[in-house]
Amino acid sequence: MKTYMKTIAIATSLLTAAGAGCGSEETSGPLGNVDSLVVLQRPKRNDMGDIFQYTSYKPKTESGVNARLVKLEPPTADGKQTVICCDQAGPEFANIDISGYDISFDAKQIVFSGKLAANQNYGLFILTLADGSVDQIPTDPARDYVSPIFLPGDKIMFTTNSVVEAGARQHRDEYERGTTLQLGRINTDGTGEELGARNLSHRTFPTLMSDGRVMFTQWDHLGGMNAGHLMFVNQDMTNLREGFGKEGTGASNSTLKAQEISPGRFVAIATSRNRTIQAGALIDVRLGVTETDGDSVLARERQSEANATYKDLTPDVPHDMTPSADTVGRYYDAFALNAKDKPDLVVSWANGPVESSVLGSAGLEANFGVYLLDTARNQRHPILDHEEMWDVFPRPLMPRPVPDISGSAVDPTLNGATQIGSMNVYNSSLKSFAPGSIYGVRVMEGFSSEEGFPEMFGTTMFEGQANLGVARVQADGSWLANIPANVPIHVQAVDTFGMNMFSEPVWVSGRKNESRVCGGCHEPRDKATVIDPGQTDAFAVGATQMYGLTPRDQRMSLDTSRDKVMGVAWSTTIQKIFDDNCLGCHDSRNLAGMQPYTITDPMTGTSIQWTFNLEGTPLPAAFAEIGGEPAFTASYLSIAGPDMEAIEEGGLMLSSCSAANCTKLNYAMPEDSRGSLLIKTLNPTRQFPTQTGERAFNTTPHMAAKGQATDLTGDEFYQLILNIDMGVNFYARENNPRLSVY
Amino acid sequence: MKNIGTKLAAVAFLVCVASPAYAGKGGSAAKIRDAIRSNSVDAITAEIERAESLTCSECVQMVTNLLEDDRYAVREVAAWWFAKRPALKDMVAETFLDDLASGGTIKVRNAADFLGRTVTYTALPALRAAIHRDNVGPEGKLALVRAVSYMGHLGGNEVLTTAMADGDAGVRAAAATAWRDILGQTSAAPVVPLLADGDANVRAAAATTVGGMGHVAAAAQLETMVVSDPDPVVRRNAAWALGKLQQPSSRVALAAVAADQSGLVRMTARASLASIR
Repeated sequence: MKTYMKTIAIATSLLTAAGAGCGSEETSGPLGNVDSLVVLQRPKRNDMGDIFQYTSYKPKTESGVNARLVKLEPPTADGKQTVICCDQAGPEFANIDISGYDISFDAKQIVFSGKLAANQNYGLFILTLADGSVDQIPTDPARDYVSPIFLPGDKIMFTTNSVVEAGARQHRDEYERGTTLQLGRINTDGTGEELGARNLSHRTFPTLMSDGRVMFTQWDHLGGMNAGHLMFVNQDMTNLREGFGKEGTGASNSTLKAQEISPGRFVAIATSRNRTIQAGALIDVRLGVTETDGDSVLARERQSEANATYKDLTPDVPHDMTPSADTVGRYYDAFALNAKDKPDLVVSWANGPVESSVLGSAGLEANFGVYLLDTARNQRHPILDHEEMWDVFPRPLMPRPVPDISGSAVDPTLNGATQIGSMNVYNSSLKSFAPGSIYGVRVMEGFSSEEGFPEMFGTTMFEGQANLGVARVQADGSWLANIPANVPIHVQAVDTFGMNMFSEPVWVSGRKNESRVCGGCHEPRDKATVIDPGQTDAFAVGATQMYGLTPRDQRMSLDTSRDKVMGVAWSTTIQKIFDDNCLGCHDSRNLAGMQPYTITDPMTGTSIQWTFNLEGTPLPAAFAEIGGEPAFTASYLSIAGPDMEAIEEGGLMLSSCSAANCTKLNYAMPEDSRGSLLIKTLNPTRQFPTQTGERAFNTTPHMAAKGQATDLTGDEFYQLILNIDMGVNFYARENNPRLSVY
Repeated sequence: MKNIGTKLAAVAFLVCVASPAYAGKGGSAAKIRDAIRSNSVDAITAEIERAESLTCSECVQMVTNLLEDDRYAVREVAAWWFAKRPALKDMVAETFLDDLASGGTIKVRNAADFLGRTVTYTALPALRAAIHRDNVGPEGKLALVRAVSYMGHLGGNEVLTTAMADGDAGVRAAAATAWRDILGQTSAAPVVPLLADGDANVRAAAATTVGGMGHVAAAAQLETMVVSDPDPVVRRNAAWALGKLQQPSSRVALAAVAADQSGLVRMTARASLASIR
């Protein structure tokens, strides 16, 4: 067997210096009360994928060393290493790769995620340390289960690509295309598997907090939002809440692998989404107001994103994908050994660039080893480094306190639906609303291409959406709706014209029978919401029913009237409006006399022109690239505009004239019907509570201004508004190409 | 290298008009080139993703070449890049359809991966035809299965049922697994014969699909498998499947393997047994 210690001598001396020097009251260093460490050793690799990928499989090194769990006792560079899994477990484990693990509260068992062969998936296993026996936990053999952690009450939480919703496919991330991971839990005896409600994108790296909640990283994508944030959830996967990284608090694009330092305080990896081997800088996140308790620093009071701060524990390490310098490297993970203001950490660290391209070019792989990091002195002291392996996730093998069980009361009278609502929608930290200005809250379901759509729902980069309805806001500002469980939804406050006033910028979801009633519309998280006299008007009136028990494949509607419309398919619903009302002036004959805009390449001088045209005809070839799908039409390009990322990234120049008859770049702004030129020009009529002839703007409606005898119907106005407020997509379930026969 | 030069001429304006090729998100032709030179899948993937909306003539040819990379992950992200450029995608798809009809194994593999990943439903008839070709090897047929699995369209069922009878066990196993992932699939009956397949991987995959789809008629066969199959992965999957089928008749078989010699089987059998009321 090869020697695993490259730096035993220096490590020993440094560890001693780190622990006993400088007059510390600790006599044996930060690891002095730790008898042994458990370390996961994986064969080195370069291509892990971005921070949410989980399928990397490399069971052996070139010399034949297996992925394994080892115990280092004592936790020093000259400590004895013992392989604790899985040489002893039988021939079935001969080619296992292990991706993550957790130690039980009594330190007698380890749960780990392993993959037995290339043609199998990652599953969960329990190692009993006393006898070395390994038992696989029953999970769907065709799905992956990773990142397990122990929960109180003999349960294990994990992330999985198994799907909670019968008959549905797991969401695929719109951008990096991975089948998403969601949260789940199972009893340690293998019974009672439960899958949590879904996000549209990934959730990964759950970790248990001392207050009983679980923190994890969630990829948030809704329109322009694209980042990995820390979130909280109860152990029963209810009561999802923001943790860190939103509202401008983040230290980087992505924050992951959080581990609690003390209540309200976490060490986590801050890095780019990709190219950094899932490694990065270390940050010390403080969610609440900082307080001191002896040597320990806590941040448990008034925890909220608004109060969150962070300290950079490794200031030289890039937070993005820049190759890190020699001796700076990147950190794969960290575990706090104490809660000092500048804590001591046991970390997994690799020297050098730790960036995929540089490593690939050099034919190298990052070499993560285990180190003791003294953040006060910014010194790393080597403990364990196998030259062929990644030595990651070092954890003390010792009992730890069992947190309380956290969960939420469920309401069985919901019969499997989820209830959402607000006590007072006017209570918001993100937006001020004029009293009485909000008519209701619109709820929209989100989905991705897994339902069979082409890669793009439109040119605006929004996911697929279906309108579930509008819940009326009551006199006290409250609202309530029963929606399908386990389904990502987002909400908008709408006015009496059905137009979006404010869009909650995230997808949320709830479990069956879960009641998720917030204080407001993204209300301040560190303040209590006072309800008087104790029950809201919405509770008294009852929840608006929004397809709470309707299966996914039935959540579509060919009735596009105001109260029935769900998806707003451009090729059918919107095009019909144009066909019936607009083509007399705005077809390819251009009787309206619109002037074109021009797109020019300043480098070559070539240019193309586009003139407003509301026909449902395919785009000309020259516009197919910046206009989106071949199925996208002239009317779609005219209203939604070209793919602005393509314009911007191509360095192209747009030019238009300023006269009233000049074709504008777009006439619809995603999620902003009120600000969209199409809507302002048409000046729609009132929708709620009943459709009337009252106009939204104090201007002459376009049709009247042009001498047209008729105008759009109230339903048609609402279809346009809804399409715009749902992202100006071309595709909806109602025109999903998968529904055709080929 | 796939030569789509003549067809690209049709969009010559398009690629010319976007020639500066420096992206707001930091993508560029040079960075794609560097990533390709690094030979790192992660780097290539990251730079292709970053060039999501970047159009440039140099990028088109570079990414086109990646459609024939030996690594699936590279072919996949290259196909995604084309899926974001539907006009170009349709042109490339045309050439790949030809490969499905007459290309060798590797050409079929590349074609199927592209057409599947770009969700080119109109290619389903060609995929159905290709699976019947005798001169396509397992690697090509695995890609055909992968393509229809990704699409999830019932029109791919013929590909899967044909693959289930293929001479290669890997193809049969992949088809058995993919069957469950087709949207709107109602019955696992075509998979049931594979429970008696001579290859353990095929039996294991079939057991999972049959259980996952709740095909109660297969309970007796699974009960036999869980106690007598020599392969622990098959016994594990059969035990899991019986837990899904929830048949009281399965109690005896599950109890018999509750202390199975393999750690893969024991807890699954006990949990399935506990779940049957």
